[in-house]
Amino acid sequence: MTLAVLMASAVLYGKKNERKESFKSWENYEITTLKVGTPGTKYVKVWAFAKKEDDAIMQAKKNAVHACIFRGLPANTAEGANATPALVRDNSILENNLEYFEKFFAPGGDWLAYINVTSDGGKPSGPDKLKVKGGYKIALRVQVMYDNLKKKLEDDGIIRSLNSGF
Amino acid sequence: MKKIICTLFLGLMLSAPAFSQAKKPVIMVQPSDAWCERNGCVTTYDDMGKKVPMPDYQAAMKNEDMRAVISTMADFMAENGFPLKSLEQELKKIQTGSAELSVLTSKDSGAQISESPLDRLRRTAKPDIILDMDFTVRRNGPNKQVSFNLTAVDAYTSTIISGNVGTGSTANAPMNVLLTEAVLSFKDNFLKGLQNHFDDMFANGREVTVALYRFDSSPVDFETEFDYNGQEAELSEIIDLWFSENAVQGRYGSPEKTENMMKFTQVRIPLFKEGLNGKPRAIDAAGFANDLVRFLKKEPYNLVVKSVPKGLGEVWLVIGEK
Repeated sequence: MTLAVLMASAVLYGKKNERKESFKSWENYEITTLKVGTPGTKYVKVWAFAKKEDDAIMQAKKNAVHACIFRGLPANTAEGANATPALVRDNSILENNLEYFEKFFAPGGDWLAYINVTSDGGKPSGPDKLKVKGGYKIALRVQVMYDNLKKKLEDDGIIRSLNSGF
Repeated sequence: MKKIICTLFLGLMLSAPAFSQAKKPVIMVQPSDAWCERNGCVTTYDDMGKKVPMPDYQAAMKNEDMRAVISTMADFMAENGFPLKSLEQELKKIQTGSAELSVLTSKDSGAQISESPLDRLRRTAKPDIILDMDFTVRRNGPNKQVSFNLTAVDAYTSTIISGNVGTGSTANAPMNVLLTEAVLSFKDNFLKGLQNHFDDMFANGREVTVALYRFDSSPVDFETEFDYNGQEAELSEIIDLWFSENAVQGRYGSPEKTENMMKFTQVRIPLFKEGLNGKPRAIDAAGFANDLVRFLKKEPYNLVVKSVPKGLGEVWLVIGEK
């Protein structure tokens, strides 16, 4: 009985670690800020890699939301855009909410609601679509509903709002 | 075991706001002195024969560009639960308040409002956090470019909470579009700075200033010696010891002291403490200093202390009389 419980715990622990690692390794993408977005939004160009072009497009959109939450967005001084800090500033927030983020970024998950306009109406082409070994590397212009995303994470108790505690 | 105690302690800390909320700072955008000078919003006052320039905020608030910037900032601050206090409205309120107070009389005897010089001085716009705003517009042919510098300053400790400097894009667009773009560009970094400040405050206590003075009628000064646990010690040393025992984690800056005054800066105070009714309540600098007032009132000091709150983060205590 004890052995069974121990084995189950080990499996669960292993899965949790695996999930954590998958989120941690989700750092291998490029993103630049294009310009200052309209109020409440961020306008970025983001790259993604996948075997199929459509999967790469979907991954690029997901990367844009991921960057807003975990990485922050770089400045673009030529366009007068300052850097944007990551919404989640503490690694422990990810570690303590792995299940939440796994569900959030699941196919068809909540993350989709924070992508507004993208350039995939006409599919990426030219320098925005590169055929590389094992698939496609594509670039997409994406408008992220940054303030709405922030509000969602605040409402779900993942991050503190500015006025919490007052 | 250590982990359990830590968890319990954290739980207790977090549950405090469930009973009571910390006192919310008042935030106000103020045109910087440099902006006022560049835009001719300056007035002078006579300081013993010397003309001293000072910002004319009333004139500054009539500037269209400054109004556009403040309005955009007010919009996003309100969205984040911190409506800005309007400097313009506050200045108007002070003016009309003074006029109304001067003509207010009682119905029966015609008695006037009693107002000390200190009361009059206190009726000024007093934010807890000042957002010092500066921006310049550079023109290159038909194109314009906005450079901005926004600094959030704690009004009591003069600590810079958040600083943002940047230059907007060069474009041939209406001024208010460029200014709005500039504000939106630094908004998130600026909010992050504020959030860091509040996080630090909730974790380590509010940073305040406590100044102690003496009325010249007081027979006791800060070098007067008293018995402290069988030892003779100067009052300043005893008060210093009180701060080391009562500041959060004993954190406060090295005090300035003379025989007539003491000034404690960067004093970390708890956000909540038990009120007279035994329930936890949010406190400010004056609430924290009340315990020092009670301490000095007791044997062997027997001091009468006047407490003058100066806002959320500063209090003056004057020994000798009320």
